[in-house]
Amino acid sequence: MKDTFGALAIKTTMLVIAALLLFAPFLFQDVRALEVAARICIFIVLVASYDLLIGYTGIVSFAHTMFFGFGAYGTAIALKQMGPGWDAVAFGTGAGVLLSLVVAAAIGLISLRVKAIFFAMITLATASVVLVLASQLSQITGGEDGITYRVPELFKPTTKLLVDENGQVLRWFGVKLNGKLAAYYFVFLTSMVLFFLMLRITASPLGTVLKAIRENEARAEAVGYRVVAYRTFVFCLSAVVASLAGSVYAVWLKYTGPETTLSFSIMIDILLMVVIGGMGTMWGAVVGAVLMVMAQYYLRDLMGAAAEAMAGIPLLPEFLDPDRWLFWLGIIFILLVYFFPKGIVGTLMTKGARR
Amino acid sequence: MPQPSLSTDGLTIRFGGHVAVNQVSCAFHPGETTVIVGPNGAGKTTFFNLISGQLTASAGTVHKGDTDITRLSPSARARLGLGRAFQLTNLFPQLSVLENIRLAVQARAGAGWGLFRPAVALTDLTDRAEKFLHAAQLGAKAHMPAAALPHGDQRKLEVALLMAMEPDIYMFDEPTAGMSLDHAPDVLDLIAAIKSDPSKTVLLVEHKMDVVRALADRIIVLHNGELLADGAPEEVMRSQIVRDVYLGTATEETA
Repeated sequence: MKDTFGALAIKTTMLVIAALLLFAPFLFQDVRALEVAARICIFIVLVASYDLLIGYTGIVSFAHTMFFGFGAYGTAIALKQMGPGWDAVAFGTGAGVLLSLVVAAAIGLISLRVKAIFFAMITLATASVVLVLASQLSQITGGEDGITYRVPELFKPTTKLLVDENGQVLRWFGVKLNGKLAAYYFVFLTSMVLFFLMLRITASPLGTVLKAIRENEARAEAVGYRVVAYRTFVFCLSAVVASLAGSVYAVWLKYTGPETTLSFSIMIDILLMVVIGGMGTMWGAVVGAVLMVMAQYYLRDLMGAAAEAMAGIPLLPEFLDPDRWLFWLGIIFILLVYFFPKGIVGTLMTKGARR
Repeated sequence: MPQPSLSTDGLTIRFGGHVAVNQVSCAFHPGETTVIVGPNGAGKTTFFNLISGQLTASAGTVHKGDTDITRLSPSARARLGLGRAFQLTNLFPQLSVLENIRLAVQARAGAGWGLFRPAVALTDLTDRAEKFLHAAQLGAKAHMPAAALPHGDQRKLEVALLMAMEPDIYMFDEPTAGMSLDHAPDVLDLIAAIKSDPSKTVLLVEHKMDVVRALADRIIVLHNGELLADGAPEEVMRSQIVRDVYLGTATEETA
């Protein structure tokens, strides 16, 4: 089939985003920009794994940050207790994945038979319990303060990947080839592998079954698919991917706390990203994560600049005050939902199909 | 008589005080097409739901061959070779026509757990899906979403889904309901083709008498959830009790 305008626009956007993320350390040479790029990579994986649930299979869960937190805390606690080695990373990541798998399977088998709303409530309750536990068990989790720890030697900013003849760290295009760069590419590559793995799954026979369950559960059952088994499986799968994303994030941040992984505000961010990008599209996760993370980091700066430019004009600078950034984010969100009811990617795809 | 491929024994379901299907015992055989008739509310679709598993019996049993399937889930029954098409069109609306059929083919092949190979690359499954697609004369509409099809084509797709499951027992619930006269024969031809295979058992709920005459080897009549008559078509159609049911006189006697 020939590509429609919408599909072409999406493909181009994806290539541009992929290129920007790939060359991010060279294109944006400041610490904050690299922070944003890494966060985007991780949230693409996190949102895509949530899209497997809500967009492909039609399962509403509020426990996604819980699995993200299992991975992050697993790695963080292992690094803190065992010291900054690869064995700690591997052990912590493995423990996070295992815990996610067990909890997801338990929730799934017990409650995926019940109506969607009850399932959503059960995930909400479980996630709340875990959030409380994380802040109460402070001798293990660091409580509200979280945990700060050191990461493997390779990812330390002082590590020299390549040196010139004077023993100084080598620079490419003005960028120091140090541990920070290695850490970024670790985040970028794992995120890309996980994302393409999920993309592959959505195109597989299993992906079609998941969509069938979303579309018409009773008929999927009548055709011969064990709906509960498929639902439990995809719930476990997305939990494992979220957990892995959490582990990568923990290695990148060198800090893990409730605010960076477990909080419900992150859960809401994930929901917004899925809706803005487009449910059930996978590529929507990329668009949603890029837009939301950029807005969270740069909307305030942009508004500050705009407020300064409007100085002298009555009232306008007040509206554009950087402190009102959430208000503007809300307005942008309402406009996006109004003009792109199926999310940006979803709407562009259907637009293209009609031509 | 050979061993029945499907049988019910004292099959009953109650909804509160209402008995929708009452003590129906009936056996169906390979190579035989049984048409189930009866007035609206007679329990025909409920009887189907009990056999295919959408509802679970309050009492009595359903056997497929020697296997007791009374308590099995619809998907387990489907995997045992019991296929069902629905009276109200029951498709995967946002998926394409080909994807709809491929879902049934891949369920039959047990390929639903395939994780890493793209579905379109499984050419043997796609080829089989296309066979059923063309049999149902939907070839030109393969890539349209099912929801965008006209009603007649949705009915054809409903039947194609059942055919793609390749069951031993085919259950059609008013397959031509709401279809125009020029489209109905397409569906009836599909059913006639299945009927010609002596290993298949066909159950059909139908109102239209010309369809009943064309396809039935045997007719059973349900009335108020009870089995009222069972026999060869001419015999059943001639019987006084059936005429009374359709003319409404029996209703007063049994009610």
